[in-house]
Amino acid sequence: MSAAAVAARPAKRSRSISKDRKKAMYWSYFFLILFVVFFLTPPFYMLVMSLKTSGEIAEAKFPWWVFHPTLENYRSLLTSENFQNFFINSALVSAATVVVTMLISVPAAFSLSRMKFWGSATLATGVFLTYLIPETLLFIPLFKIFSWVTEVTGIELINHWWVLILIYPTLTVPFCTWIMIGYFASIPKELDEAALIDGAGWLQVLLRIFIPVALPGIIAATIFAFTVSWADFLYPIVFTTSADQLVLPAGIVTTLIKGDVFEWGRIMTAALLGALPPLLIYAFLMDYYIAGLTAGATKG
Amino acid sequence: MAIALPGQRAARRGGLRRLARRKSTVAFLLALPLILLIASLVVYPALFSLHLATLNKSMEHFVGLGNFEFLFKRELFWMVVKQSCIFAITAVIFKAFTGFVLAHFVHNIPTKKQRKWRGMLLIPWVIPPAMSTLAWFWLFDPSYSAFNWILRAVHIGDVNWLGEPNWARASVILVNVWYGAPFFLIMYLAALKSVPEQLYEAAAIDGANWWQKIWYVTLPMMRNIISITVLFSLIVTFANFDIVRILTAGGPIDQTHIFATWAFKLGIEGNDIPLGASVSLFMFPILGVAAWFILRDISQRGNEA
Amino acid sequence: MPKQSSGRRKFLQTAGAASVGLAFPYIRTSYAAGSLSVAFWDHWVPGANSALTEVCQQWAKRERVDIKIDYINTQGNKLQLAGTTEAQAKAGHDVLAFVAWDPLEKASSLEPLDDVVASLEKQYGKIVPAMEYLGKKNGHWIALPSPTGTQVKPPCARLSVWKQAAGIDFQAMYPAGQKPTAEADNWTWDALLKAAPKVQQAGHPIGLGLGQTTDSIDWVGALFHSFGADLVDAKGNILVKSNPAVTQVLEYMQQLVKHMPPDVFAWDDASNNKYLISGQGSMIMNPPSAWSVAKRDNPKVAEDCWTFSMPKGPKGRFIPYLPIILGLWKFSKNKSAAKSLLHELWQRDNVEKYDIASNGYDIPSFQSMRDFKIWSEVSPPKGTVYHYPPRDDQTTWVSGAPAPANVANQMYVQSIMTKMIAKCTQGGETIPKTLDWAASEIEGYART
Repeated sequence: MSAAAVAARPAKRSRSISKDRKKAMYWSYFFLILFVVFFLTPPFYMLVMSLKTSGEIAEAKFPWWVFHPTLENYRSLLTSENFQNFFINSALVSAATVVVTMLISVPAAFSLSRMKFWGSATLATGVFLTYLIPETLLFIPLFKIFSWVTEVTGIELINHWWVLILIYPTLTVPFCTWIMIGYFASIPKELDEAALIDGAGWLQVLLRIFIPVALPGIIAATIFAFTVSWADFLYPIVFTTSADQLVLPAGIVTTLIKGDVFEWGRIMTAALLGALPPLLIYAFLMDYYIAGLTAGATKG
Repeated sequence: MAIALPGQRAARRGGLRRLARRKSTVAFLLALPLILLIASLVVYPALFSLHLATLNKSMEHFVGLGNFEFLFKRELFWMVVKQSCIFAITAVIFKAFTGFVLAHFVHNIPTKKQRKWRGMLLIPWVIPPAMSTLAWFWLFDPSYSAFNWILRAVHIGDVNWLGEPNWARASVILVNVWYGAPFFLIMYLAALKSVPEQLYEAAAIDGANWWQKIWYVTLPMMRNIISITVLFSLIVTFANFDIVRILTAGGPIDQTHIFATWAFKLGIEGNDIPLGASVSLFMFPILGVAAWFILRDISQRGNEA
Repeated sequence: MPKQSSGRRKFLQTAGAASVGLAFPYIRTSYAAGSLSVAFWDHWVPGANSALTEVCQQWAKRERVDIKIDYINTQGNKLQLAGTTEAQAKAGHDVLAFVAWDPLEKASSLEPLDDVVASLEKQYGKIVPAMEYLGKKNGHWIALPSPTGTQVKPPCARLSVWKQAAGIDFQAMYPAGQKPTAEADNWTWDALLKAAPKVQQAGHPIGLGLGQTTDSIDWVGALFHSFGADLVDAKGNILVKSNPAVTQVLEYMQQLVKHMPPDVFAWDDASNNKYLISGQGSMIMNPPSAWSVAKRDNPKVAEDCWTFSMPKGPKGRFIPYLPIILGLWKFSKNKSAAKSLLHELWQRDNVEKYDIASNGYDIPSFQSMRDFKIWSEVSPPKGTVYHYPPRDDQTTWVSGAPAPANVANQMYVQSIMTKMIAKCTQGGETIPKTLDWAASEIEGYART
């Protein structure tokens, strides 16, 4: 009732708050461990399988650990012409797609976030709305259009890996533009205006001032574009058939899985190796990746 | 008192106008590649798809809405509609919930440790889905499932992961949730961090317990980000292809077919391009309705704020 | 440009020579030249492609053609997809391998091969009727059977399990190197149904796939026909509801399914192999690829395997037949070279080479070639695949026959028969409802 009691209460509450905090923390760790186990089970399993021989897999004595590890799967894959082709095709397609995406997205994002022209607001929303037209809707008409062009002009747009470079930007450009619009919009306008007063042209503003400041967003968009290009599965299946034109995901699923024959060690190895480039990039540039993704979120 | 000479004023006005025009032309030119890309490889094919859907199988005759009539009469079509909606809605709810819960857990641990845990938890989203689905496929395999091995070891017995319709649907949803939850985790974690601490303290003083804090503080503050992520995920999940294709190819007895895989089966495997196009087109109105609702919700709240 | 690896994938354009080559009508010894791009079926048996590659390359060297060879497998229907995409784009390989009903469906895009067939038939006798059914449209051969890949899917069983649990000795019924004994006459679907619970109790149930890939579709097609349960007749009339045999076969399957693992409904082409190789299964219906792999990964199982004839049904003994067929596109720019190659591929010595490389997997489409030694020699156990190539007692049957090609193709692609079985077993529907559903589905298949 007295001041003493009132004084005593906060002290007790701060102790109980920290006890609550501690309890929350322990429970959090507990659940986090559970979820990490759940999330990392497939990659772990892929790793274990990749080290097993066909015989050990066929025996199926203990699927969660390998007892006679072998690097044979890795060796045979890395020296296989097919696999090397897949890897190189994927690398080329992804790299080219990233370049094309950035060349389209960065100027567009700059323009849509800083400059006004007739229809720019609609275009900005329109970019986001293109996501309503997913690849699973477009693959059939695109296939027909490309077939028709091939037939009429003789330029073979089917069954060549570089055709993917034409199509992949449709997957990456909308989201990258959107990320960067969000990022660019958060850069204070005073920066441009100061440069403009100093007599710089828009292009110079873009190159000298803007891009360095917006670099984290650009890096995030680049990583995203790379990951999406590397991982796409539907378009390669529809547009490429010959083994030397396939990219990694389509190649692994369609040529390494030979229905009747046991190749699961190799398949898991291939899948792991196929997942490696995005994982490595992610491991080194994780903070940029996450910052870029969330930039739109917290500002939007 | 600026009495400008007529020439000067005209020059300044002319100059400004020129500057304005130049700026907007430049702006337009910068956005031009984007416009061209979307127009030629997104909008045009989508419209072409509408045209394709009005042709007969050999694409020689115009049949108007004949393909849609054909589809509406098929039991399998309605099953695919139902399955796609159940799949998308269930998966997104689970993903959002998991992401939300996980975000809280990560938020509760010391900031220095968060980076490591966040890193580990994002891995499913970084691995190409085709690759990780292969691993899941093997984990669910009828003869060699490692999960069944565990279940047998604790005397529960095998589960027919991919062969029994309801389990197959659950498996597909499970893999999709595994793949997509990290995205929600990242987004919600960032949003959580931007909720001011004072609000929680104020609520605590008012005697709120943990779930009241979530209900009255966290959720309202995160409404926008929740709407955007749910919309984005609904669209992406609804249009999913890889996971179902590799895991079940639509089986057993077409019970896991969603729009994309069924369009692929009919259009490409069944050599009936117009029918495949018709099936794919069906996604669009459903997505459009969902998008409209959520976007309206966001902008309404934007106006309120 | 990029990464093209060297070796057999060189693409040199000798346009002048190519046009010269085209001018000559096909004669086996004509100067073919130019470049040719071919895609074959990617063989399940490890290493089997190499024999075919060698024959092609020797031919290419002799005829001075630049040949580019692709192997596309049927996992995920990739090979069938290639057929569709190339037909739509009117661009792609010159020669492409097709599966079952595809060539008839795409006949208008395929070049007639009557001359090649006539020359081969003069050498080796007639091509088997089942293949003639699939390769001829309006009296013209529009495709040629492929010397590799064509397979039949008879039962392959674990001798010891069947002997001990069911008292049936397949090795005695189908001895190596000899005709089936009189006992084999009693090997019927009913006998299978009677024995199935016994092997199931012994812990090794039979495993006959009921999924949506070729292994399942093929054996069920033969099952249906052996009961006389054709769903569509040659004129296109839908017999689903009017043919009592359809109800009979579905009732049969309702019984048989009880003695098989519940996951057969999700089986793909690899699942039955895995089932046998792991030691769990006592019988599957498959070409010898499963045994080939068991030889490598689980020899104890391999030594115990025996391949023999299909069970007999009321209408006879029919063996599931999955032909791979080679077609030459009309848009090809080097047809004479292609025809010369196709002719070369079927020379008896070459065909024997492929079969040796595949451990006897491939079934030649000329009856006169079904006497290769490989089938008696492959072991262990010796003679295990002697009864793999169909001889007198069985008729080859393609799933979907005798329906008209476009309907049969859809029946195949949409795996209607296995779905019917699944519906009235795992799906819990009554047979009449299943028939209603099937009839309405098949009506849709006649779309043009």
